[in-house]
Amino acid sequence: MDTQQTLDPNWAWAPYRPSTEHPWTLARAGHLYRRAAFGANWTQLQQALVHGPRKTIDGLLTPPADLAAFNRTYDDYDRSVGSSESADELRAWWLRRMLLTPCPLLEKMTLFWHSHFAVSNGVVKSAAFMRQYLQLIRSQALGSFHTLVQDMVHDPALLIGMDAIENRKSRPNESLARTLIEDFTLGTGAATDQDIRQAARAFTGNFVRRGRFLFIEREHDDGDKQLFGQTGPFTDKDVISILLEQPATAEHIVHKVYAWLLNEASPPSDSLMAPLTRSFARDYNMSRLVETMLRSNLFFSEACYRQRIKCPVEYALGMVQGLEGMVSTTQLATDLAALGQNLFHPPTLRGWPGKEAWINQATLIQRANLAHALLQGSGPYQGKLDARAILEKYAHTANQPDAQFFADLFLQQAMTPASGESIEQSLYDIVTSPEFNLA
Amino acid sequence: MVRQFLCLCVVLCQTAGAVESLAPQTQWIPDNAVLCVELSNPKALIDMLTSDTAFGALQKVPLYQTRNTNPKFKEFLTGVKFLEAALETSWKTAIRKLTGGGITLAVCPDDLVILMVDAEDADLLTRLHNIVLTMVRTEADNQGHSDRVASAEYLGVTGWSFDGKEAHAIIGHRLIFANKPEALKTVLELRARADKVGLASQVRYRAAREATAPDAAGQVYADLATLKQIPDLAAALEQGRANPLAGLLFAGIIESIRDATWMSVGLHVQHDTLAFRAHLDSANLDPKGPAGFALPGKPNEGALPNLSVPGGIASLSFYRDLFRFYGAKDDLFPERTSGLIFFENMMGIFFSGRDLTDEVLAETLPEIRFVVAQQQYDPALGTPQVQIPAFGLILRLRDEQTFDIVAEEAWQKAVGLVNFTRGQQGMPGLIIDRPVHNDTKFTMAYFSTATVDKDTNLPTRFNIRPAIALPHNYLILSSTDGLARDLIDAVTREAQQAVQPANQDHTLAELNGQALTAILRANVRAMVTQNMVEKGNTEEEAKNSIDLLITLAQFVDSVKLSIGTHQSLTRAELALKFNLD
Amino acid sequence: MTMTRRSFLKTTLETSAMMSCMPMVPDWLVRSSLAQDPSGNNDRVLVLVQLTGGNDGLNTVVPYEDPVYANSRPTLRLPVSDLHKISDQLAFHPRMAAFSRLYKDGHLSILQGVGCPDSSEDHAVALRHWHQADTEDRQTGWLGRLADHARLNHQTGVPVALVSAIKRPFILTAQQAIIPRIDTPDKMTLVRPTDTGPKRDAQTNGFLSLVQETSAQSRIMSDRIHQAAQIQAGDAYPSFALAQNLQTIAKLIRADVGVRVFFTELGGDGFGGFDNHANQIGNHCALLHQLSESVGAFVADLKTQGLLDRVLVMTFSEFGRTVNENGRRGTGHGAAAPVFLAGGKLKGGLIGQHPSLTDLQKNSLKHHTDFRQVYATALDTWLGIDSQAVLGQQFDTVDCLNV
Repeated sequence: MDTQQTLDPNWAWAPYRPSTEHPWTLARAGHLYRRAAFGANWTQLQQALVHGPRKTIDGLLTPPADLAAFNRTYDDYDRSVGSSESADELRAWWLRRMLLTPCPLLEKMTLFWHSHFAVSNGVVKSAAFMRQYLQLIRSQALGSFHTLVQDMVHDPALLIGMDAIENRKSRPNESLARTLIEDFTLGTGAATDQDIRQAARAFTGNFVRRGRFLFIEREHDDGDKQLFGQTGPFTDKDVISILLEQPATAEHIVHKVYAWLLNEASPPSDSLMAPLTRSFARDYNMSRLVETMLRSNLFFSEACYRQRIKCPVEYALGMVQGLEGMVSTTQLATDLAALGQNLFHPPTLRGWPGKEAWINQATLIQRANLAHALLQGSGPYQGKLDARAILEKYAHTANQPDAQFFADLFLQQAMTPASGESIEQSLYDIVTSPEFNLA
Repeated sequence: MVRQFLCLCVVLCQTAGAVESLAPQTQWIPDNAVLCVELSNPKALIDMLTSDTAFGALQKVPLYQTRNTNPKFKEFLTGVKFLEAALETSWKTAIRKLTGGGITLAVCPDDLVILMVDAEDADLLTRLHNIVLTMVRTEADNQGHSDRVASAEYLGVTGWSFDGKEAHAIIGHRLIFANKPEALKTVLELRARADKVGLASQVRYRAAREATAPDAAGQVYADLATLKQIPDLAAALEQGRANPLAGLLFAGIIESIRDATWMSVGLHVQHDTLAFRAHLDSANLDPKGPAGFALPGKPNEGALPNLSVPGGIASLSFYRDLFRFYGAKDDLFPERTSGLIFFENMMGIFFSGRDLTDEVLAETLPEIRFVVAQQQYDPALGTPQVQIPAFGLILRLRDEQTFDIVAEEAWQKAVGLVNFTRGQQGMPGLIIDRPVHNDTKFTMAYFSTATVDKDTNLPTRFNIRPAIALPHNYLILSSTDGLARDLIDAVTREAQQAVQPANQDHTLAELNGQALTAILRANVRAMVTQNMVEKGNTEEEAKNSIDLLITLAQFVDSVKLSIGTHQSLTRAELALKFNLD
Repeated sequence: MTMTRRSFLKTTLETSAMMSCMPMVPDWLVRSSLAQDPSGNNDRVLVLVQLTGGNDGLNTVVPYEDPVYANSRPTLRLPVSDLHKISDQLAFHPRMAAFSRLYKDGHLSILQGVGCPDSSEDHAVALRHWHQADTEDRQTGWLGRLADHARLNHQTGVPVALVSAIKRPFILTAQQAIIPRIDTPDKMTLVRPTDTGPKRDAQTNGFLSLVQETSAQSRIMSDRIHQAAQIQAGDAYPSFALAQNLQTIAKLIRADVGVRVFFTELGGDGFGGFDNHANQIGNHCALLHQLSESVGAFVADLKTQGLLDRVLVMTFSEFGRTVNENGRRGTGHGAAAPVFLAGGKLKGGLIGQHPSLTDLQKNSLKHHTDFRQVYATALDTWLGIDSQAVLGQQFDTVDCLNV
């Protein structure tokens, strides 16, 4: 949209402060929880209203004290899936972790990187490797992008997934180097074939043997490589450092995070992104980047409101969060796969395209049928979500007509229900509305 | 809870007049009933269910323990205590006397349900009725309702109704309860007729009744001809055709149900055992038809007795002619799925091009037995994270002199192929060994332990130590060498005793509750985590539901099932022995 | 069309003023036609039937007069008297009576000698080549790219559907598009009708109006599929899984919801039922019988419904089989094999020469028609979709269609 072309970067990235013109509202609190988490329940929304934006974002950003213990417990659950070929159980545990974690932002960013480093168990065929891969991503999801890239290029699942378990001196793997440059760091079109060939030589000697990364020195090409004007006997580490020195890398990642957290409808102008890119390029600190974005005036402005289409995970978890239940995540993972988001199985190395791609006539029928199954209380999700119980729990605080309570919970907007309509019907209409499909 | 309790009491105690001799309950049941459950001797069942041991066992159930602290349940108990005081008897005695004459429950088309209860003690009924009627009226009064009990005369009998939906009447010491007034009317019309036209005189019912032993405490009659028209049931019967393995195991059973017009189930109570004996009139089963491979032809043919091994969890014995089964595959499972073709391709390789039907399966006698047993793990190595019981397949060969070596070669080729494939995938393989057990040399294979530390979380593959043994004319395939050794002992015993097949039974199954409990216990952790993601339960909820499962399994001492064809009837017997100590 | 029962207010953050609550005008829904197609020039449908495992072409279309055939197959050669004659050289397998009938009626063509350059003997690799429409590694399948191509035209319809219970095949892998599985019509029917309220303004939020319009179209799609599913086909389909899937496809074609390509299969997951290394004769009989009867019932049904002229069925298999048998009364992985076309707009007959049984590559038949020529024909000539955009290269089409 044109509005963003003319936005003043100083204003855009300055922290949002509520004012009479831009008051702190239920709508803004809901917006924050949709982007920084997987939706909110009524208590969280009400608390956010009381605490205001700064304190609420503090809560979302600062890892709570019990996060480490929680993740240890869930790492154990992940390990319980054992050495199977299928990642189906792993999918189920991840969805459950997303729902129960004290730090949903961490999982939100882990999901982001899963699509960035798009490894599919369709190729890897090992729950154990996929588990390690995701754990690695999670450990740096809000940490250092530099460390993350370095770790990823040695990750067995990633190397198996990219068919790069053998990088011999005599046959450098160019597709690994190409993906590293065009997808992971600089972005498409930023490097020549010559750059890619040179970079590939630095990765020789990297092998995966019996599920473990192995550096075989005699297979490593230690000759000089020329890359972006620099020459030297670069190792894979050196190459990554050089790639991260290129301005295109920071731009690429910042734009991608911007689309994930702020707006995927229209690309931002370079001038708008310049301050963020500069800052990110200094140390590739993800936490600071995400914090700046979430606190910003731009984030809370009309320009970003409902300018993302919910991915299936966000669509389904939003309902489960709002109704404060826990459903069969085994079943949910299968249903989300039918909607186009099969966790641990991104369609290609490019990850999930997102945006409008989520929406077609078939996926909307299936989204509505999933909503119906989740709410209706029979079938695989039997008796797990209880809208009436939530209504009872908050009726005294909500103090509004039933349907309006759910409109506030899920959409944060006023609505006039048809007379005599059942609460189940109103709720179904709310979660199948176009608005609820947007984040 | 209280309301339901009151309703039941009212139903049970509408006063009886003078005790008169009444026609059998089933004479008053319409002859188009599709399902009829009779408890001619409820006391036997009541005694078993209300025994101290049964009650003690109930109190171990976690669900019951929480129920005990439930306020509504406490209210219910108070109600029971009040009635006990008013009737000057214990609730156990009351139930015995109120229902001791027999109970019949029938379901007829159009969702009509009829319940008849004959009391033993008309006086007790009267007193209970008076108490409950007072309670109902007080309850109505308290809630500001008028007395809602309505009544009307029909064929000289007073019919009662609470809300215009249910209807009941008292004739002599008999209480008749129906879910709709028209059902009660039908009962009263049948009673008034001089000719005997009720269910009791119906041909199928009488045949079913005849099949039930006279000492049965109860019986169930089902009109299968009508029930099979229910689309879901029809579809379920068709399903059996889709899967070759289901076709093999359930052969004779599915066909029997498809063929039958009625089924009767007799209930027998002996001490701590409940036995259900079912009969079906599937007389037309064609021994030459596709399912004929599961029908013992001559007298004294049938499934062999189950083999018993230490730590046995379950054992299955089938009379199945594998040669005829596979020969009829175009009729039995016409689809050629990937799995089936893969199986045939592998068999082609393992048996060096022999024809699977004519040159392999033809070499086996018409029988299959399976044994599932607990397994011992090597203490030097540790235990796997998920403990899978050992399972074995036992066949007998027509000519062991020629076929033993063929089977041995096939097995070793299979292990070789597994090793090759695992090697390709960079996974550890199997090492073949040929130990001797009680003078029988057999072949086994075990996974290399080169890269494994002693652990309680060993990979799943350490559940498997495959073995083949060929003692006498037996062919034993087992998932562990331990079970293979136990089976060698078992079949040696059997061979020495000149085993007799179970006459005309084609399926025998046994389950040991204690061994099952043990294997469930060993896998609690895996089952709990599975339950969490599959049901969306909390860890505590998951633990509770798994605990309940284990507690229930503990109550079962053994389950035995036998199915066969006897005098043109299909007979199935299920015996449940409880362990309530 | 149900009337809106509510109106959403306050769709923006700042304005508390009531937005327009105009009653919904159904016009804009009706205008957004469902039967959009990527090319906009026809409404034809392609049904791909994968014969998984490698079909033995020689025992499907049998060169019964060729002495090499009889000599190479001591146990697998089919008795000449049972065959359904096509010509004085070729005949259908004995269990393919329905194919023989279709052939005589002009509703079946046989493309002979179709294969893949660099034909692989590995199931996974060969199948991948057929799915990619390329022998070089690609990240997407050609039907996935076809669906992506449709997305590029900003369409939110469903150009491709999977109608089978098998694991999602690679052929459907797309960069952008999400291709649904519709193995039963109820999978694509709304359990409860949706109501998305009054028209959202595209100017205010493009995503909102996109979702709403698509949602409105999805209701029409659901309704049409639901209605088509209720109609009992006059022609009975056999109970085989393939026949049931084809029946579903017939219903979806009738529902007219804009699906251009349906993918279904025979043989199942894994290596596939056609991979007959042992005891081939009986198993292959059963499979060809299923294929022939299922497609026969499908064509008859479409004909009755007047839909046959819109439909082209195409079979394919990852490879044929070896000319010689293997000592286990089976055959090994081969190369070229025939592709069957069925439908109402065929030139009919045999197309191309039967490959030589003596000029072989590794005991397998050589192909003379690249499998992508057949794809290109289906795309350019039949569907009217630019084949180069989908296949990435230009291939000569095969003259086999009457369009």
